[in-house]
Amino acid sequence: MEGSMKIDLDKLPLKRLEVIDEAGNEQFPPDIGYEEKRLKMVHRIDFTSVVEKDAKKQKSSKEAVGPSSWPWQSLVENLQLAQQELAIILDLINTVEANDAVTVAGMQRPKQLPHEALSDIAVSTATKLQRLRHLGRYFKQSSKALEQQVAREARFYGSLIRLQKNWKVKRQRVGLSGPGNESFTIDLIDSSMTNLTLSSQSFTISTVRVDHNPTGTLTVQLPSKTCRTLSVEFPGFHSRHKKKSFIRGKMLDSGHYTQADKKEALSDDDVNKHLQDSHLILREIHRSIFQEQVFDLINHETYNPSPGVNVTAMREDFLHLSIGQETSVSLCLVPSVEEEADSNGLASNIDNATASGDSLSLVVLDEKCDSFLRNHLNFPDPHSLEIFLKQLFHGNVFLKSKERSSSASRVLVSSQSVGSGCNLLGHFCMTIAHRIFSKKVLSVLEGLVQGVPYLHLLSNPTWHSRISSWSLSLKVPQSILHSNGRIKTSGSDDLKTRTRSQFHTKVVVSDDQINVSGEGAPGIVSSLNGNITFGCSINSYGCDLVDLPMVILQQVAGQVIQWLHEEALIIGMKASRDYLCLYLDLDQGETLGLVAVVDAEDLEGCISWWLVFDDGSLEEGKLDDGESKNRRFLGHLSLEALYSTLMDLVSLCDPGGSN
Amino acid sequence: MSKPGAPSTGGGPTAAAAVAAAQKQKTLLHRLDNDVSTIVDNFSHLINVARVNDPPVRNAQEAFQMEMRAARMVQAADSLLKLVSELKQTAIFSGFASLNENVERRIAEFDLLEENTDRLLERIGEQTAASLKELETHYYSSLQRTNSQERMLQFL
Repeated sequence: MEGSMKIDLDKLPLKRLEVIDEAGNEQFPPDIGYEEKRLKMVHRIDFTSVVEKDAKKQKSSKEAVGPSSWPWQSLVENLQLAQQELAIILDLINTVEANDAVTVAGMQRPKQLPHEALSDIAVSTATKLQRLRHLGRYFKQSSKALEQQVAREARFYGSLIRLQKNWKVKRQRVGLSGPGNESFTIDLIDSSMTNLTLSSQSFTISTVRVDHNPTGTLTVQLPSKTCRTLSVEFPGFHSRHKKKSFIRGKMLDSGHYTQADKKEALSDDDVNKHLQDSHLILREIHRSIFQEQVFDLINHETYNPSPGVNVTAMREDFLHLSIGQETSVSLCLVPSVEEEADSNGLASNIDNATASGDSLSLVVLDEKCDSFLRNHLNFPDPHSLEIFLKQLFHGNVFLKSKERSSSASRVLVSSQSVGSGCNLLGHFCMTIAHRIFSKKVLSVLEGLVQGVPYLHLLSNPTWHSRISSWSLSLKVPQSILHSNGRIKTSGSDDLKTRTRSQFHTKVVVSDDQINVSGEGAPGIVSSLNGNITFGCSINSYGCDLVDLPMVILQQVAGQVIQWLHEEALIIGMKASRDYLCLYLDLDQGETLGLVAVVDAEDLEGCISWWLVFDDGSLEEGKLDDGESKNRRFLGHLSLEALYSTLMDLVSLCDPGGSN
Repeated sequence: MSKPGAPSTGGGPTAAAAVAAAQKQKTLLHRLDNDVSTIVDNFSHLINVARVNDPPVRNAQEAFQMEMRAARMVQAADSLLKLVSELKQTAIFSGFASLNENVERRIAEFDLLEENTDRLLERIGEQTAASLKELETHYYSSLQRTNSQERMLQFL
């Protein structure tokens, strides 16, 4: 458009002259008004080219569009109207801009009427009231928020104080020391154990972060899968009872708290529950740390080997020891929490895992006993072993170090002193060996008691892990004389000759040494010497497991013989005893012998009796020749039967007896 | 760190700690004063602004002022709360008297627990031994046992 339309701009008004007279004075034309000027300028615009173009355009557009050009027309008109309006407004604005605003206000003020002013004030007041109301709402809202914050803090710090009563809470400042940047941790490490080296594992779980929930309750983050415990299991039969964890399964999923968080109002019960859970988690971690420490200590103990204990395998969390030739023990650390979590869903997997052996820990193997039942009977309860192990280390290492650090002169009160020459692990292994051995001894003793009906087996608790003790008591029936009350009047002042009611044989197993001690049975040596001591002489033997039945049976038979001998003496018979025989003197140098034969393999009864008649012609050496007229098998007699036999013999002897 | 306001006796680290504590106390008091005066000032301003002016103009300006004052008051209150929580933390972590008392109490508690447990174990042991004895006597005087004895007699 610019190219085709030529606009001739007006010259500067200074240069425009109308007339110059002869004197050279210039006469300027009168000032042209705005309208005239515009008209002139409009006149000067040459529209010819535009008109031609427009005509052309109109022609072409008429040809092309036809009737649809009409809406365009109205649009153009509308636009023109709008432009006009806009121009007026712009003019107005320009006017207002050009004029002083104050004069406009000033012009209006005096015009105000009283009621107008009042209404203005009223409007202003109402606005203000509105504002104040708004402010009140704002204040209320923020006061509520602040109240909540106060309640939250009270809850949090209350819980923190309660945690602090039981745990060591530490404050950590992250970054700037402004409030709100703190995080709280709980330190579970025992600082008095500085002389003990700790594994990195214990360190990593020893500090526990305390989280501040939006609701003000605090939660303790459980380092999952890092909690490990020592637990005990035998191969072949897994412990039926799962390890008890303080943590309930639901606490492990993080979604547990979300529901509680949604509620704004938390009751005290909820807070208490959270706190309780925190305590439980901390307790669990604490326990786990202790067990890690115990395991570490065991590892350290293996560096100084004790006799009979050999390390056969060693891993980070696994230790395999062999005790003696027969038994081997392995100790492992197992993640406790993970198992707990898995146990909800995949019980079968756990069984597989335990079967594969990577899971649980104290495993006692005995190659000799393959059957399940024998295993179960012969081995001590792994759980009690585990408790014993922990107690051992706790009592002897932890308490000792604590007392050393506090330099208290108090003597360590331990349940039992560890055997000399053994470290704790050695003591533990010896205990296992002893337990297994003592079970075998016990089963032997039970077999014997089964075979000898009048023998009673009584357990004597020793309260020592490496000493077991039983006593075999033989209760003899009361003698006729004694029951008649004539024993006192018979004039036997001698206590030794007085009838006793029972005999005792004590079996003490210390580690793997069996010691049998008992009264009333003369030893073989003394019987050979012919120097037989009666009465309360206590014999004690050391023997091994194979000899044990014979030793016991001889002891018991000797006691029975002694009893019969004493009874016979009381009645007044001439009786003498020789090891397991009781000889009654008859007339004319004849002797009647009551002989006890012991046989541990006899299923009917382990002690049987023979009656031997010796008329003086027989030599002792001929005792062995078969069933003769001089010998009679009496069988497995009970004590009452024996006693009545003795009485029968008395009556047999009596006519010819000296008394 | 000793308790705030503790008198600085002795030299060395104790004195330094006491000085630090005093400094901290001063800072806290200063903050408290600041916050309270902020609240009071802003409230008085708020009251001033609440007056309806004779020429009822500047409404928007006043409204904005009111909001600002209110916000400042709330902020000061919040800062006061923070102060309180800081004091609480100090009380929790620096109240060594109560901490030691807690420890002592715990020790006493555990000692008692240990004693009780020992006694309990002892009693359980005694009871077990007694029960074992009783059961053994029962067994040896029981029908099964006497029966076996009688069988022996019959065998004869």
